[in-house]
Amino acid sequence: MLCEKCGKNHATTHIKTVVNGIVREYNLCENCAKAFSYSGNTLTGVLASMFGDITNISSTVEQKQCPVCRSSFADIAKSGKAGCTECYKTFYNELLPYLKRVHGSTKHVGKIPNSAPLMARPKTETVEDLRAKLSQLVAAENYEQAAIVRDKIKEMEAASNE
Amino acid sequence: MSSWYQTNGPQDDIAVSSRIRLARNLSGIPFPARMTNLERAKLNAKVKKAIMESNTPFAKSLKYIDMRDVPETQKYAMVERHIISPEFAKLKDESAVILSSDESISIMIGEEDHIRIQVITSGLQLSEAYDVAERIDSLLHGSLQFAFDSNLGFLTECPTNLGTGLRASVMLHLPALENSGEIGELSSSIAKIGFTVRGMYGEGSKSAAALYQVSNQVTLGLSEKNALENLNIITTQLMEKELESRKKIDTISLEDICFRALATLKNARILSSSEMMQLISRVKLGQSMGILKIDALPIKVLVEAQPFMLMQKYGILEPKDRDIYRANMVREAFG
Repeated sequence: MLCEKCGKNHATTHIKTVVNGIVREYNLCENCAKAFSYSGNTLTGVLASMFGDITNISSTVEQKQCPVCRSSFADIAKSGKAGCTECYKTFYNELLPYLKRVHGSTKHVGKIPNSAPLMARPKTETVEDLRAKLSQLVAAENYEQAAIVRDKIKEMEAASNE
Repeated sequence: MSSWYQTNGPQDDIAVSSRIRLARNLSGIPFPARMTNLERAKLNAKVKKAIMESNTPFAKSLKYIDMRDVPETQKYAMVERHIISPEFAKLKDESAVILSSDESISIMIGEEDHIRIQVITSGLQLSEAYDVAERIDSLLHGSLQFAFDSNLGFLTECPTNLGTGLRASVMLHLPALENSGEIGELSSSIAKIGFTVRGMYGEGSKSAAALYQVSNQVTLGLSEKNALENLNIITTQLMEKELESRKKIDTISLEDICFRALATLKNARILSSSEMMQLISRVKLGQSMGILKIDALPIKVLVEAQPFMLMQKYGILEPKDRDIYRANMVREAFG
């Protein structure tokens, strides 16, 4: 991507601002980013502020480290990012208030792996419907989706034979 | 086989494309930002094996691409086609993408998360796109076992993606709402209910081609089904508002704008990227309102006339030459 300002150099700095709920993105080269007086800390600052005041964390939390990637809670709060999946187990309690602020919830609802997909494909979709869809897809030379539909038909047929 | 921008899709007079992204990670290894190149190479191999050797028929249409073998121009041309993210194109480390021949499926390995499954379609087809992404997700989970927590859902590097890991978005062409200034107000109210509206291909709130992307922000505590339904509702409302706003423009002014835009595209010898996008936006408006009778797909031309797409086709070009090549290409497309 080229810099949006000068249109000459590669855009290496990507700035996203949220002002009054309007998200704006800027893709700038190094020089234009400097001219934009972008310090590089703005975004991290916004993300980190969602974590609240981390100077008040207890010394037990302060010393706690993720056993896999060695991240501390301060590392996560500063970057707004976890180091590895284990971080979520290690800092579960510390992260909850933040997650509540971001998502308004702390409990996953939706797809659970290894179970029947919760996502509703139209329940009324019968094998006949899928066959019709399959021939349309094949006619349109959309073989990726056609293969997926064909697999689905096979699955449904196998399920009805059981 | 055609990519999203090369074909028509349902309701594509306003809804240009639909995109689904699922973020997935493996347990026991750091997130990509903290991985060594060796760990990255292992991850690539693991995912490659899981999908390419899965014996599913659709795997045959997929191609594994080592990103280090892809020249810069092609990488950024992929960004312009919305196949990979700009962040992914920038990576210098080991990374790979698995791409379907029509480019509707792209699986990025080693982006912000270990795996990002993306499905992009033309028009408004969120549930269809989700369906494909979900099948790939289940297929991959079968051999890779994604990190999942019963409370936090799928675990992702950025806590803003926890839960479903689903980012669904629709790209909308909203010239009338942009022109009337209503888009700003609408964006603010949409932001309050957990969705984001942002301009595409442009700087600031004004998008160069009046293309806006609406996407969900909340991923925890809301099922995929509900997130998609909500996005569909918001999209439909925005589309209705756009149509209402279009009716308020007086016919002769509208015709004038559209015909002038087409005339320029048909005749210009030098065409900058921003002028091209502004004019194509007007031509698309005219086409969808039945003012201009043209067969060309404006969005196809818009994508193919992007800087890196042009360089991929014609070789490295100086900006001035690029504007000439762009004008030639566009003239031919609308000729």
